[in-house]
Formats: sequence, structure tokens, C-alpha cells
Amino acid sequence: MRIGDAKQSYEADEAIWKSSTQKVWFAVLLLVLAVFPFMADAYLLYLGCMVGIAVISTTGLNILTGFTGLISLGQAGFMGVGGYTVAWLSANSALPFPVTLLLAGLLAAAVGILVGLPSLRVKGLYLAIATLAASVFLHFIFAEWESVTGGMGGLSLEPAHLFGLSFQSDFEMYFIIVPLAVLMVFGATNIFRTRTGRAFIAIRDRDISAEILGINLLRYKLMSFALSSFYAGVAGGLFAYFYRVVTPESFPLSMSIFYLAAVIVGGMGNLLGGILGAAFMTLIPEALKLLTAALTPFYPNAPIFMSPMLEIIFGVLIVGFLIFEPHGLAEIWHRIRRFFSLWPFKN
Amino acid sequence: MFKSILNKSRRLVGIGSMAAALAAAAPVMAQDKEPIVFGGSIPLSGVFAFAGVHLHAGLTDYTTWVNSEGGINGHPVKYVMEDTGYEVDRSVAAFKKITGSNKVPVYYGDSTGFMKTIASELNSRGTTLMSGASFATALTDNEQYPYQFIPGPNYSQMFGIILEYIATQGKDGDMPTVAFVYSDTEFGKDPVENGKAKAAEMGIKVVEEIVTKPGSVDVSAEILKLRRVRPDFVVFHGYVLSPINEFMVQMRQMGLDTQFMGTFWSSDKLIINKMGADADGYMGVMPYNYYDSAESGPMLDALRATAEKSDPDAGYRPTGYMQGWFNAMVWTEVVKRTMDAGKELTAENMAESLASIENWDTGGIIGIPVTVKDMSFPVGRIWRVNAKEARYEPVSDWIHLD
Repeated sequence: MRIGDAKQSYEADEAIWKSSTQKVWFAVLLLVLAVFPFMADAYLLYLGCMVGIAVISTTGLNILTGFTGLISLGQAGFMGVGGYTVAWLSANSALPFPVTLLLAGLLAAAVGILVGLPSLRVKGLYLAIATLAASVFLHFIFAEWESVTGGMGGLSLEPAHLFGLSFQSDFEMYFIIVPLAVLMVFGATNIFRTRTGRAFIAIRDRDISAEILGINLLRYKLMSFALSSFYAGVAGGLFAYFYRVVTPESFPLSMSIFYLAAVIVGGMGNLLGGILGAAFMTLIPEALKLLTAALTPFYPNAPIFMSPMLEIIFGVLIVGFLIFEPHGLAEIWHRIRRFFSLWPFKN
Repeated sequence: MFKSILNKSRRLVGIGSMAAALAAAAPVMAQDKEPIVFGGSIPLSGVFAFAGVHLHAGLTDYTTWVNSEGGINGHPVKYVMEDTGYEVDRSVAAFKKITGSNKVPVYYGDSTGFMKTIASELNSRGTTLMSGASFATALTDNEQYPYQFIPGPNYSQMFGIILEYIATQGKDGDMPTVAFVYSDTEFGKDPVENGKAKAAEMGIKVVEEIVTKPGSVDVSAEILKLRRVRPDFVVFHGYVLSPINEFMVQMRQMGLDTQFMGTFWSSDKLIINKMGADADGYMGVMPYNYYDSAESGPMLDALRATAEKSDPDAGYRPTGYMQGWFNAMVWTEVVKRTMDAGKELTAENMAESLASIENWDTGGIIGIPVTVKDMSFPVGRIWRVNAKEARYEPVSDWIHLD
């Protein structure tokens, strides 16, 4: 049992690993992630990959909305930019996946900067509408710029490749998606140990005060948009490689709402919250299906009645979180940790 | 005498017992064989649920029926499905889950998006043949989608059938004019280019082309465009109901005598139920006989009897039900042909069996024998709404495209 973390320097206070216990648990987590694909069946592997992509995109949106306080409904559009970039490069070049993904992220970041320009004048709901407009505009480009995007029919992709290796199956894609997700979450964690990350938080807490403190709002707001879009672009690129097809309907508005809900349910302004939110939003609809499976042997018509019910249960769960746990899943996780940090000596 | 009667009775009882034992044993024998699994990503919730529940009912009832007939070559059929909410990622998850825990030779896909997305996996696995709710033209590209087929004509072929019918409606040697109205979606745009090419080939002039959002939208400006060109026929595609009803009502109010036509998903009773008398005269292309049509045939009768038995209160069964049933019928035929040829149930072998279907009698589900061409059944008939009877009636013969 740990009884305290006495920090004797600023470096210790800013350390990613506050204690050796954390390092051990993180190592265990990495081990579990590494072993998982060898133990899981095709279905669980698929879900693992889906969660990985969702974690990257949600982390990106969390940087923008959770840490900088700039609401965005354009995440699916930015993912689309990444997805189409990878698809186009896959068809027109022999670049390996690390390069295509990087270019997907950079192009999405460039688009993110453009979309972020209104954030200098508007915020809150107005910014949400501005990003929504950008999302509609991007969707229009995906559907109509036929020579590049393939129009409504979209584009098919060759599998991701590197040094002659082809990543085709979910098992192979897992070893691209999950390490990248870990790396990008780690990167985001580091951002918030720097001046840039602190500037984002200062803008979220009160932008006028932040400006008085010497933070250049133009620079940091656009930087936040760029970073967030970069994450979305990479997630979109992975999405494209994973499904090997992109169409305008691959990146609907509901996808942006999905990621926003993941940030809110997980806990805004908390990277762990983004991860938990992404996992929750991806896995709960699947987990709820177990209810149907359990009922079907006794009541063959259960799928017909349960399917709409599950949508309602899912919605109620989200609303329940907002009402009873506004700090999201991350807060629940922190409470569990606090409980065990004193266990079994707590009254 | 009494002894002789007793002996005869005993003999009869003996024969009866043997027959009963055999009858009882037959299903047991069938059960002993490995089941053939029909898998499905089914949209029981979400925006396509209005059709999904009927597709599911059609697939379920067909499975019941085929098992009551002894299964496929003695193999019982098991239908395993999951709800997808009509979302591609959930459809893929359902596919992975079902194919991960079962050997699935045939599978129902709930959307074009899903069927395109899963194609690369389907091609690399080579174990499963797929069809589903989609009639997308792209899916009949055998290079890209060798293991997917369309359980009817694809959307371009539906336009072809409609245009064949329109070509017969000219007066005084003039070809009628036509306008295409379609939604701004992949679904809506699917047959338009091929439709225009076919119309040009047949000498039918496409006088207007209108793209709208699907659903209830203000179409006044578009109707004014149509008023200017006064087409003899307007062909809708990419909608289920709205804005077809707005176009029809407003154009008729303007005194235009244009006739209105639609494709599979906009040719069900919904249009009659929602529009009432205003739906009168609307025409649709349909590859299957309607549930309440005057047609009959052994399979169509079996379908009606099974539907009646499974849910006596349901009454009319929509076209989705017919589509689900017909999908499963084709799967059965394909699996049976592959087994009869002594081949393994691989996607390639089953695709070959499908391609071998020629002049196949569907027992009244489709009114003429059908032949598979480019992984589709390019056949259909034009039906017109009789609003007073609240049903569709045939106005053309069955049209089989070459």
C-alpha cells in the first residue's frame, strides 16, 4: 500500500509516472495489449481495432474541446480528409503506410487550421455551427470531386504496406492501430506538460485572461485545431486502411456526434476520459446485444423487440452519465483508484 | 375371422409404427448432418428498420419452411443474425461475430456500404457468398465483387426495365419523354448514367434531370422545372416515399398528365398507405410477385401459408419479406447445386453454381423462369397502384433483359 507521493522537485511534480506502481500497471497494460490479438477471436480483434481508431480520434477531439474549450462538430469531416488522402495516395503512389498516415494527418491539420479560423471570433454554439458547416462542405467535396474522391462510389484501397510487408487482416492491422493509439495518447499526455498544453487549458478556462497573460490566442487556438485535426486525419487514414474502402457515407455527421459524446461521457479535459469514452461508446452497443442473445432461446422474437430497446437503453445510459456523473467515466475510475490506494485500511 | 382381422390390424399397426418411426427418424437424420448456416447483418433498428423487420421475417419463415421440407440435402438450415442499426461498422462486427463462431456459406448484407466494405475480406476468405438488401449496380462488377450477387435486377437494370415499358407507351410513333428525379446519395445516383445511356440507345429523350435531398424537402422549384418540360414519365429513384408524394400531388394539381414510376424500395404499400387516393396510377418495377397479387405457384403458395402460420395477424407481407424469402431461396438453390456437384461449399464453387442458374422456375415468386446474368436476375415487371383496391396490379408482362 502506498501512503503518499511526496514530490521534491518540479520535475517530479510534472512526471508522467507519479509512482513505480503506475509504471508496473502500465507495463501490465502494454503486455495485455500485446497478448490480446493472440488470444482474441476475429470479432474481438475487430472491436479492438475499432476502439483503437476511436481512441485516437477521441483524443484529438479532447485536445480541442476538452482542453481548449473549442467545441467542434467537424471531426468526421477531418477523418474523411485523412481517409481520402490515404486512399488517394494508395491508388496513386507506392508510399508506405507511415508516410501516407503522416500526410493524412498533415493535410487534415491544414484543413483544421482553415476551419479553426472562425474560432477567433466565435465560440460555444456558434463555433459548433461553424464547424458543422465545414463538415457539410467537406462532405460535398467528398461526394462531388469525382476525379479525386471517386464521387459517391468512393475509393477502394490496397492493404497498408511497409518494407514489402502487407497488413491485410484485422490481426495485422491491430499491430498498426493499437501501437499508434498508445503512441498518440502518450504524445497528447506530453503536450499538456508543455507551455503549449498549458496555454490550451488557459484559453479554455478564460481566453481573455489567457491573452493578458501573454498567450497568443490566434496561434494557440489554431494550433489546437491543427493538432486535433491531425489526430482525426490519422484516425481517418487508419479507418481507410482498416475497411479498405472510403465513401462520403463513411464519414457521416453522426460520427462527429459519436466522438463528441465519447469525450463528454468519458470526461472532458481528461485524456483517460477520452480513452474510456471511446471504449464505452464502441463496446456498449455490442455488449447490450448479449441481452438479446440471452433472451432469444426462450423468446425467438427477442431480436425484433430488443433491437430498438437497446438503442433506448444506450441513450438512457448516456443521459444517466451526464446527470449522475458529469465528470464522466474518468471520475469513476479515479474513485476506484482512490478506494484501492487506501484499501484495506479505509473505514 | 376375428383372428384374421386382428392379424390385419396388427400388420397395419406394424406398418403404421414403421412409417411413424421413419417419419420421426427423418428429422433426426437431418439433424445428424451438419447444419447449413444462413448468416445475416439485419437492420432491425435504425433508419432501415421499416424494411429490416420484414427482411428478417422472410428469412426466418423461409428457414422454417425449408427445414420442414427436410433442409438442404438432409442438412438442417440455421439462421443466425444480429441487428446492425443499419450502421456499417456494426454490420461488420456482426459479420465477424457470426462467421467467427459458425461456418457460414451464405450471408445477408444490409446495405451497399457494408457489402462494399466487407468485399476485400470476403474475397480473401473465399468461404462465403453474399447477397442482401442492396441492388447496387457496382456490386455486379465481378472483378471487384466476385462473391456478391443481387437477388433481382440491379438498379440500372430496373431503369432498363422501366424504359422498356415506357418505350411501349408511345403514341403516333413518337417515343414518350422522361425525366429522372433522384436523391443526392450513392443509392440515388446509382442507375442514372446507365439509365441515360439506355434511354439514348432506345431513342427516349431524357428532358430533365433533378437531384434532391431524400426525405421531406421543399420541391416547388423542381416541380416548376418539370412543368416547363412536361415529361410523359417521371422516374424516381433513391427514395422510399418523400418527396415522391410531393411531386405527384403538386404536379397533378397543376394539371399535368405525367405518369410516375419508381424502383424497388419505393414500390411498396407505404406509398398507398400514406397517399391514399393520390397514389392511384403510380407505377413501380418489381422483380417478385406481390404478396397479395392474384398470381400463384407452389413456392408462392408455400410462402403465403408459412407467413400466415408464423403470424396470422400480420396480413399483407411487404416486398422486404418477399426479398428476404427470395434471397434464402437462391442460397438454398446455390448450396444444393454445389453439393450435388460434389463440390465443397466455397465462395468460388457457389459463385459458379449461381452463374449456372438458367431458366430456373422460382415457383411463382417470379412469374417466369429466370437466368442469372452478371450475378443478378435481370427480370421485373411493371405494376400500377389501384388505390381503390389498395394494391398493385401488373400492367406489363415480365421483362427479362438480355
